[in-house]
Amino acid sequence: MKTEILRALKKRPYGQVLTVPMIVLATYILLALAAPVIAPQNPYDPLQIYGWEASSSPGTPGSGGYLYLLGTDGLGRDILSTILYGLRISLVVSITSAAIAALIGLTAGVSAAYFGSWVDSAIMRLVDLQLSLPTILVALIAIVTLGPGIDRIILALIIAQWATYARLVRSVALSETNKSYMDAARLMRLPTSRIIFRHLLPNSIAPAVTLIPIEIGHAVALEATLSFLGLGVPIDKPSLGSAVANGFQYLLTGQYWTSLFPGLALFGLIASINFVGEDVRRHLDPRSRPV
Amino acid sequence: MTCETATPPLLQVRNLSLRHLSASGPITILQNVSFELGRGEIVGIIGESGAGKSTLGNAVLGLLAPEFQRTSGSIELDGRPIDPMGGDGDAIWGRRISAIFQDHTASLDPLMSVGAQVQETILAIDASVPRQEARARAVALLARVGIPQPERRYGNYPHQFSGGQRQRAVIAIALAGSPDIIIADEPTSALDATVQKQILKLLRTLVDDTGISIVLVTHDMGVVSEITDRVLVMRKGRVVEQDRTAVILDAPANNYTRSLLAAVPRLRLSATAGKGQANGNASISTNVGEGNTMLLVAKSVSKTFVRQGFVWNSSRNKAIFALRDVSIKLPRGTITGIVGESGSGKTTLGRIIAGLDRAPAGSVTIDGTQFDVSKNGRRSGLLSRVQMIFQDPAVSLNPRMSVGETLRESIRFGASLHPKEGPADAATMMDRLGLARSLIDRHPHQLSGGQKQRICIARALLAKPQIIIADEPTSALDVSVQAEIIQLLKDSITTQHMTMVFISHDLAVVQQLCSSLYIFKDGQVEDFGSSDFVFSQSKNPYTRALIDARPSRFTC
Repeated sequence: MKTEILRALKKRPYGQVLTVPMIVLATYILLALAAPVIAPQNPYDPLQIYGWEASSSPGTPGSGGYLYLLGTDGLGRDILSTILYGLRISLVVSITSAAIAALIGLTAGVSAAYFGSWVDSAIMRLVDLQLSLPTILVALIAIVTLGPGIDRIILALIIAQWATYARLVRSVALSETNKSYMDAARLMRLPTSRIIFRHLLPNSIAPAVTLIPIEIGHAVALEATLSFLGLGVPIDKPSLGSAVANGFQYLLTGQYWTSLFPGLALFGLIASINFVGEDVRRHLDPRSRPV
Repeated sequence: MTCETATPPLLQVRNLSLRHLSASGPITILQNVSFELGRGEIVGIIGESGAGKSTLGNAVLGLLAPEFQRTSGSIELDGRPIDPMGGDGDAIWGRRISAIFQDHTASLDPLMSVGAQVQETILAIDASVPRQEARARAVALLARVGIPQPERRYGNYPHQFSGGQRQRAVIAIALAGSPDIIIADEPTSALDATVQKQILKLLRTLVDDTGISIVLVTHDMGVVSEITDRVLVMRKGRVVEQDRTAVILDAPANNYTRSLLAAVPRLRLSATAGKGQANGNASISTNVGEGNTMLLVAKSVSKTFVRQGFVWNSSRNKAIFALRDVSIKLPRGTITGIVGESGSGKTTLGRIIAGLDRAPAGSVTIDGTQFDVSKNGRRSGLLSRVQMIFQDPAVSLNPRMSVGETLRESIRFGASLHPKEGPADAATMMDRLGLARSLIDRHPHQLSGGQKQRICIARALLAKPQIIIADEPTSALDVSVQAEIIQLLKDSITTQHMTMVFISHDLAVVQQLCSSLYIFKDGQVEDFGSSDFVFSQSKNPYTRALIDARPSRFTC
């Protein structure tokens, strides 16, 4: 897989490896990693928040000895710091959920294709059931039944996403199962697990891998939506989505900054992930390669 | 009559050089190719894969992709240059030059009746033709290409036609614009031998009756020998030899042409003296019950596929026999051939014996042990007693495993049934099969087709099976490689006293390799016996038809 990605990168037209979305995304990730160091304030620490400076406009000097570059929210938290810390939550939630969902989906899809008959029916009916409900509804149901919390959000996102991987991988694995090398593997009397994980899975995985970045983008958006609806992460640890939601009620009073800046940050993050995901898909998908 | 000699030939290709602009730099595809095509002539272009023969055909058709670039030369039709990139568009395409391709299924629209497709082409070429007349012409064309009852079959869809009839319909479409030239790119490669013969005959008749000209692109010397007037032999983008067909076949000047001809397997119809196996049928049938000379006995194996109707007419479910009451025996230490056309059930039987597929009825006995073929492979216990070599080496190796990993897996798991013989060595096996040891770290995409098939053979042998089933192991390979693989199979089977089933549609290859054979037709054994008996004495009409379908040039 690694060599393939490298080869795909090298094959870029004009020898260009980095694109603007890639640079933007890398910057986002660096900022998220460095948040505790570079953020002027720890928005999760009540001792660092000066409540009387709530709803300061951007550029106001704060009591902590730094400027509120992007202003503060209704609780007095520095918006810039909230964004940097929120970024961490958004990224962790979306990447973890997409990765686990991919793992579950891949295993389910490949097993359905390999075993066929009732295993296939059982898994795929579950997938149908899952895909027939809107993703946001599935996530909502999960959150409502499981209760709030970052781990629950991740679980809800996994439940909402695994089916997409399963369906995609199953269709690829089905056509792989009919190839002669799979027959050869059966004739060798290989253990079933070896046939699945050594032969079938590595050859069925490519389209699903290209789906991962795109699904991470979806997960960020979905988490933001859930948080915006108040069903996501706890209010004292805002993600980007809940930061937007926190400021939403002040928008009409002219305090645009509390919602606008986290919103822009969220927009930039989702857009860059989607662009990079699309890039990766185009380079890994053999069908989109020039003949 | 000087003005006569000055008349340009119908089609003239002069010093044509083409290159393909790929990411890794331009690759020369054609180099200084020249040939002429006169009226009423069939010129064959023969070569192995990568020779540039299809590119040449596409250049004449104006179908070259934009990545191609002409570096020199010209293509002239009646003395006027035409654009290989398709710049002349509709003026030439369909009206002066049309095409027939290999895949008759992909050439027809599955959602449109065959007649309507012919009519559509007539209207596309000349919009002023009234619809009724176009229809009448379409019916006439279908009759012309030998479709029986064309008026009645007009409204039928492609799936209601047989493969041969579909290719006839494609020819009718190619004829719709009354072109001067048809480029036929492997027109019979996807067809069974008997049907291939009929289609070739049709092409020859069309040329003789209407004076149309054909460029026939093929890899098959047999096809060339049957109907062409002149032949171009191509290799790596160059024409190595061109001459009248008789000269190419009888006195080829070029070494490559000679090697191509030598690689074509020849069918001998007279029993070779000295072998003394002419007792044929009798010798096999008297062996019933002699378990010790027969390694495998398959009795009354049947398998059906159910064609399901929709929910509301499930009573119309149709059972189609893939195999009906088939019994075969494999004498120990010999190679037995199974011959048949597509759909005759030969591969199905092979897969049942190997334990890959189930059969609801019948039994398989190997070395005295009876196996329940109605159960899945893993439970029937058949798996790994039999190894297979598959038709297409491109999909027979796991693309993500190196050669070494594939071979070691076979030793570790496949040969686990026979631990006493000690582990075989992958490297020694590669030496024996003529594979360089340096290939051991390569992945399949870095290997040629012939190398891949050798690895498949090595994998099968390393698993130490009791029986090897080779299912058309050479039909995806070039002729010269085919001969090597056949020889290799023969050597490794005979030196190790192994037992092999060789499934093929090619009678000559089967004769070269097998001591006895079964001929399958529609899921049943149609004829069987020792090779010598079947080829020289069998009176079975189907066997005779198969033998007659072979190009007479390569039968002696």
